[in-house]
Amino acid sequence: MSGDLHWLTATEASRAFAAKRLSPVELTEALLARIARLDPKVNAFIRLDAEAARAAARAAEAEITAGRIRGPLHGVPVGIKDIIDVAGLPTTGHSKILVDNIASADAVVVAKLRQAGAIVLGKLSTHEFAIGGPSFDLPFPPARNPWNTDHHPGGSSSGAGAGLAAGFFPLALGTDTGGSVRNPASANGIVGLKPTYGLVSRRGVFPLSYTLDHVGPMTRSVADNALLLDAIAGHDPADPGSAPSSARYFGRLLDRGVNELRIGFVRHFHETDIPATPEVTAALEDAARILQAEGALVSTITLPSLNEFAAVNRVILGSEAWSVHAPWLRSRPGDYGQLARRRLMSGAFIPAGDYVGAQRRRLQMIAAVEEVFRDVDVLICASSMDPSSRIEDAVETARTYPRQARTPFNVTGHPALAMMAGLSPLGLPLSVQFVGRYFEDATVLRVAAAYERAAGWQKRHPPIG
Amino acid sequence: MVDAQLVAAQLVAVLARAAGLEKALAEFPEDVAAAAEQGLGNAGRIAYPTDPAAEPWPPMRPGVGL
Repeated sequence: MSGDLHWLTATEASRAFAAKRLSPVELTEALLARIARLDPKVNAFIRLDAEAARAAARAAEAEITAGRIRGPLHGVPVGIKDIIDVAGLPTTGHSKILVDNIASADAVVVAKLRQAGAIVLGKLSTHEFAIGGPSFDLPFPPARNPWNTDHHPGGSSSGAGAGLAAGFFPLALGTDTGGSVRNPASANGIVGLKPTYGLVSRRGVFPLSYTLDHVGPMTRSVADNALLLDAIAGHDPADPGSAPSSARYFGRLLDRGVNELRIGFVRHFHETDIPATPEVTAALEDAARILQAEGALVSTITLPSLNEFAAVNRVILGSEAWSVHAPWLRSRPGDYGQLARRRLMSGAFIPAGDYVGAQRRRLQMIAAVEEVFRDVDVLICASSMDPSSRIEDAVETARTYPRQARTPFNVTGHPALAMMAGLSPLGLPLSVQFVGRYFEDATVLRVAAAYERAAGWQKRHPPIG
Repeated sequence: MVDAQLVAAQLVAVLARAAGLEKALAEFPEDVAAAAEQGLGNAGRIAYPTDPAAEPWPPMRPGVGL
């Protein structure tokens, strides 16, 4: 099979494998060659494990050739954020603190991917310990945005977002505590889902904030996102946050469209709470119009203010992350980069009563969102209020990073997906976010698929290589 | 007359030492000050429940996840 193999989705690759038009070895070699050529500009990888990937591709090819096809991810390459354990490889968290930390076992999500036959390519860049921002004082360089490598790719799952947009792999695993799957999805024009809290096991994932952490699928298409979620979802009795849910077959509604679906537009997030740039506002209004034209019933709804959601997220995240990092911050503060050191130490100054108060307010906020879901099936709202800023402009990055509407759904645990919704005049991706009821991740993917079909942004790729 | 900035800096130093951050305070005093500003800067931004019966999330669930 010839052509641009690097833009194939997992769904397309799997079909080509089954039809014997493409082999896992051919696809893996094409992606490894592209990574070798372009990753020095993008820095998506901290650790590429090319030989292990080649061996896994050969094994997958032998099984597929023999007719033993495990499923739609069999033979498909995947990248893993470097706070998720892959046996035998370092889990560094992009930090000097853990630079020699070799994982002894796969995280549950990685084990599930191997069982599904996916090919692990290696470990991907992140903001240090999944917090902070793009930093130049860490052991590895920060990932860059393939749409314009002078700009940041969002984060903290920065290598996952950048690598997908650059055509290095069709699938990646990220994590999301305050928006870290959906921020790079927004900045890089790909699809990132933060599933319902508890739907995906976090065992073997370095913690940031126990009650806010999620593992999420990142892809270039909505159908691939559903397939990746199918592979990693499921109850894990050894993860205290895991839910005993039997939700599965997340792509079952993708072709159903949005006719008569009730969609609540949270306009105050981007109009008054944190005013978005005009281009982002226009993209959001376009997205709502497109869904309305597809038959959805769009109405404006109101939630608690974005700024209060952000404060609740900040207090909980700061307190829980401090409890994780306090021993190292006390003994090795110089081994953190400045951004992470500042943010992680902030938890030392949050009174315990404020933490409990934030958790109590959180329950009220959950109730407010649940109340809205009595009248609508899905929410549409902003993800980022700006396109990504220049990576070297620390001041502008610090100003724009908090200008987002992702933290509400870490606080409440509802499933939330961000995807491309346009291009700025500078050619940088704009985004939209869809949110659903608990364990109705399939409905979120249904709306995203309808929007993807109608808007067509997934056909656009960065002008890189 | 009390110098409010000096008092604030001294208070941050006391809190940092109480948290065991003596080394960070010595090596990265500006980062400790910035962290304190972040950590203490949430006052008034959250409408904490006034009903004493309002419980936190997540609730205790005996036997679940053990």
